[in-house]
Amino acid sequence: MDPCTHDWSMCNVRHGYLVEEGCFECGARHSFFSAEPAPPIEEYCEGRHFWAYRGSFQTVKFDLKCRACGRIVNLNDVNGLMLSECTDGDCQVGLLVRQRGPDSLVYVAICPNTSHPTGECVSSEGIEALNQYFKAKLEPVGRKVTVVPCKLCNSIDRCRGTSIADVGLTDIQ
Amino acid sequence: MKVSELVQKAGLTAINEYKDREIESVYISDMVSDLIASAKTNGVVVTLQTHKSLIAAANLVAAAMIVIVNGRKPSEDVVALANRTGIGLFSYDLDSWAFAKKLVHLGFE
Repeated sequence: MDPCTHDWSMCNVRHGYLVEEGCFECGARHSFFSAEPAPPIEEYCEGRHFWAYRGSFQTVKFDLKCRACGRIVNLNDVNGLMLSECTDGDCQVGLLVRQRGPDSLVYVAICPNTSHPTGECVSSEGIEALNQYFKAKLEPVGRKVTVVPCKLCNSIDRCRGTSIADVGLTDIQ
Repeated sequence: MKVSELVQKAGLTAINEYKDREIESVYISDMVSDLIASAKTNGVVVTLQTHKSLIAAANLVAAAMIVIVNGRKPSEDVVALANRTGIGLFSYDLDSWAFAKKLVHLGFE
């Protein structure tokens, strides 16, 4: 068991673009973070995939560092956070939203490959640190949030929620 | 300064019911990605955004209130989400710069 209770703060804050690409051949999609001044839009082959640019938006990435013990949790596998409003009773996130009730909000941490072909998602270490970080920030003001990995979502593409991203900010929902 | 005191002194229009918390900081931005990395706890968020993303981000930074400038008004679903978080939403008729000057005049630095 970790002897430190951890006092997390953001570190390694980097601004950039979340770039979304799709494969012409199989329809797979993935996304990655680019800190370049302009997002890369070139098409390229990678193994059996032929990736083509689908879009990008400005975003921010960060890691968490404990002020007490100095431990750093790398959150490279978090591409974004989405406030879930899922009502699907068959979805684990939807069930959690229902269990938590209206005064507690559930955020989904979105990994780079939301189809999870290898089973990988945001690390449990990252999820735990994010929950501790936001709990410390929000409990004193009487708010509750829970962060869960996107692999708990039945389908992130169909999931009802609001992404914290600079995209669609003028769209009607 | 408390939220209610700022509302009264700056001539803000309340959009929803709010918790009267002590304000400790101010952050002005129209980008939610910027907000999540830079805004401080118990802060005033000044923006012209009215999207739900704004509330989702402001909640995570424990914002005390959001002031939407240029007289813009959020939709009902945005107000409903703000109500769930307890974040006060306010409208200000002039732009961000005018509101920033007002805040400085009221002693915010």
